[in-house]
Amino acid sequence: MVLIAITLLFNIKPAVCQQKINGKITISGAFALYPMMIKWAEEFKKVQPGIKIDVSAGGAGKGITDALGGMVDIGMVSRDIYPEEVKKGAFAIPVARDAVVCVISESNPALKEVLAKGITAQVAAKIWISGDYRSWAEAFRIKQQIPLHVYTRSDACGAAEVWAKYIGGKQEDLTGSGVFGDPGLALAVKRDKVGIGFNNIGYAYDQKTRRQISGIRVIPIDINKNGKVDPEEQFYETMDDLTEAIAEGKYPAPPARDLYLVTKGKPTNPAATAFIKWILTDGQKYVKSTGYINLAKTKVEAAIKKL
Amino acid sequence: MLISRKIKDTLATRLMVIITSGAILFFLAIGLVLFIKGIPVMKSHSLIELLTTSNWRPMKGQFGFLTFIVSTLLVTLLALIISFPLAILSSIYLSEYSDYRAKKLFMPVIDLLSGIPPVIYGVWGTLTLIPFISETLAPHFVDFSTGYSLLAGGIVLAVMILPLMISIFLEIMESTPQDLREASLSLGATKWETTLKVVLRKSKAGILAGVVLAISRAFGETIAVMMVCGNFTAMPKSLFDACYPLPALIANNYGEMMSMPDYESALMLAGFILFIIIIFFNTLSWFILKRIKKGQ
Amino acid sequence: MIKNRKIILDRRHITEQMMLLLMRLSALSILAILLFILYTIANKGLKSLSWEMIFSLPEGGYYLGGSGGIANAIAGSLIMIAGSASIAILLSLPIAFCINFILKKEGWFSGLARFSMDILFGIPSIVYGAFGFLIMIWLGLQASLLGGIIAVAFLILPIMVRAIDEVVMVVPHDLKESLQSLGATRYEMMKVILRSILPGVGSAIMLAIGRGIGDAATVLFTAGYTDSIPSNLTDPAATLPLAIFFQLSSPMEEVQDRAYAAALILTIIVLIISLLTRQLTRRIK
Repeated sequence: MVLIAITLLFNIKPAVCQQKINGKITISGAFALYPMMIKWAEEFKKVQPGIKIDVSAGGAGKGITDALGGMVDIGMVSRDIYPEEVKKGAFAIPVARDAVVCVISESNPALKEVLAKGITAQVAAKIWISGDYRSWAEAFRIKQQIPLHVYTRSDACGAAEVWAKYIGGKQEDLTGSGVFGDPGLALAVKRDKVGIGFNNIGYAYDQKTRRQISGIRVIPIDINKNGKVDPEEQFYETMDDLTEAIAEGKYPAPPARDLYLVTKGKPTNPAATAFIKWILTDGQKYVKSTGYINLAKTKVEAAIKKL
Repeated sequence: MLISRKIKDTLATRLMVIITSGAILFFLAIGLVLFIKGIPVMKSHSLIELLTTSNWRPMKGQFGFLTFIVSTLLVTLLALIISFPLAILSSIYLSEYSDYRAKKLFMPVIDLLSGIPPVIYGVWGTLTLIPFISETLAPHFVDFSTGYSLLAGGIVLAVMILPLMISIFLEIMESTPQDLREASLSLGATKWETTLKVVLRKSKAGILAGVVLAISRAFGETIAVMMVCGNFTAMPKSLFDACYPLPALIANNYGEMMSMPDYESALMLAGFILFIIIIFFNTLSWFILKRIKKGQ
Repeated sequence: MIKNRKIILDRRHITEQMMLLLMRLSALSILAILLFILYTIANKGLKSLSWEMIFSLPEGGYYLGGSGGIANAIAGSLIMIAGSASIAILLSLPIAFCINFILKKEGWFSGLARFSMDILFGIPSIVYGAFGFLIMIWLGLQASLLGGIIAVAFLILPIMVRAIDEVVMVVPHDLKESLQSLGATRYEMMKVILRSILPGVGSAIMLAIGRGIGDAATVLFTAGYTDSIPSNLTDPAATLPLAIFFQLSSPMEEVQDRAYAAALILTIIVLIISLLTRQLTRRIK
């Protein structure tokens, strides 16, 4: 009798876990989270085929606006949530990490030198915020006299906000030609041989080849500020090298950052709750292969408790 | 029978008046909503500061709209300078000088141009204009330019308002009675003089209306300009500097506005400023039109 | 004296020839610009254009290089513009006719109506999108087909009214007078006049549709986005301009190239609609 009871118990538990739900979830927001969300939606569909998920991008700002306005169930946000937004009901769950990198054109005449020198937050601040550095010679202490073209993001976005945070300001403090969207910025830098900009990892590296996309190169961050890029600071060859460095904390954070899903108040849509729970548990195993970084275990557990 | 016709007529006309009034109310509603939503930022900042400074730091609570207002006006002016001569000359050519074959060829071209979605113009601008300005044109004039500039915005807008102006100009000019032209020619005037002194004179009002409409369209174009103008909050000092017109400001930041209450209000105020600018231009043209009509 | 006359004649003729040259050049350059734009888009777009793109729905990772097509956006855009255009036609015909036939010609009411439409014409599409967004929040709607239809209808209404107004204004007086002298009521008169200006109305509708179907700012916040074709008004709807926008925003270059193909599709759709409208109105006449 006891054996039968135990077997029954063991049969009930998994059934509860895989209870089939029907419903729909709408998601919108940051370009940074978009590739990850697509992957998650795909895998989740295999577990819960009755739930329909619609994902669209549009920027972190759109994600927050849509979520707080009740337009979508979940918003993808690639920056920290402001206190005003929390006041309006923003309920944020961190789900992954990624980072912003500094990029220059592959056809930069001083490419090798610059890549060997690396960039620091102070130099970046003088380039983007104060505009003091107007030539590559000033910024990177090289001999060639070539002008420096600075690019930033025109749309209100997580990438610019987090890059600004790293160098000591806010997105509105960043100067330079404003280009719309991540790929727009990458394209602008690719075309301008003396251009400098920043991108999400996902837009600086090719998902398939895991290498930097052709036309742009990532400037390593000179973490110990010794004026050159040491071998330990050289982890930009492939996407996986970089994500590992971020996971180990070697790459500074910011510009590495947490990516959040935001709902208005605690999610009431059972499909959405199930999805978010799944992302924080089974979903985490897809993070690395898609080119993102896992959250620290403690953060994940805290997030699950929040739900 | 008579009565039912009358009832139909009364019903129909009453309904139409209601709908028209509704449309006018809609116009007032938009203006009102923009204004009301813009009040918070006007309360916390002086109107002078808002309209005459160009410091835009929403996180620090600084909202200076001057750059955006000036950019909007400059880029529209530039677009007009580029497209008006082309439009008027082509319209004259098509209505007075060319044969019907040329018109048959040209009209689909105009239709096509007006049918191309704005985002395409933006893409075209990014693909062709930006590198051209940055690499070929700018080096002759300035130290450097990234290509994302007032000039790029002006050119893209010019191409977008061209078909609008041409179709209006053509219609106006073609409606000039033929006998007027014939009378002028028979008096010994050349075709060009006829065109200048008779057709254009008669069409002055319509041409002005067309220009005002084109200006309205240029003010309101969001996407195409946003992709090529540079979106930089400092005042443009030359054609090759980046600019930042009002619609681009609203479009770029609309997503973020939920975060800071004054930010949302500021964007709505931007919309309201645009609303006022358009009203100003339309009122101005109304006065000028009245003058012209009186003179004719 | 004859000599003087000849000089004057020559100067006038020279001016004329110069102006003629300038005019020909302008017309040609406009043609050249159009061809250039089309060439750039077609060049980049034809490479990625395929039947699959037009007729299949996007798979999961379509914007990241996955397979599928943009049938969702094509269908969404067509359904949406049909809805918006219907609303706009139902409203703009009465307004244009009211302004021209019911209200006093120089009266303040008709002037105000025209003025309002002119202002509304110039309001940027993002403002209509924002306005639609606010209304939707107020009504508690989620991003949906209905939201998109409303916002686009807002956008194209002033365009349609203005264009129809232009056509109605040039209706010859004698037509009006003869109808009135036959004892027609205002309503009946308007019906007859509508028939006679149908091609003009047709092109007005087509102009508005062209503008409405290609605008991204109105639908960005109101229509949402989805990988499937909307089945009712409360479903989110994908639209072509947004499809183009998202494809351009993709990190993969092949997807960005697809955006040009989508742009080509959009342009072709607008062309087809305009041709159809021309044919239809000609037939009714």
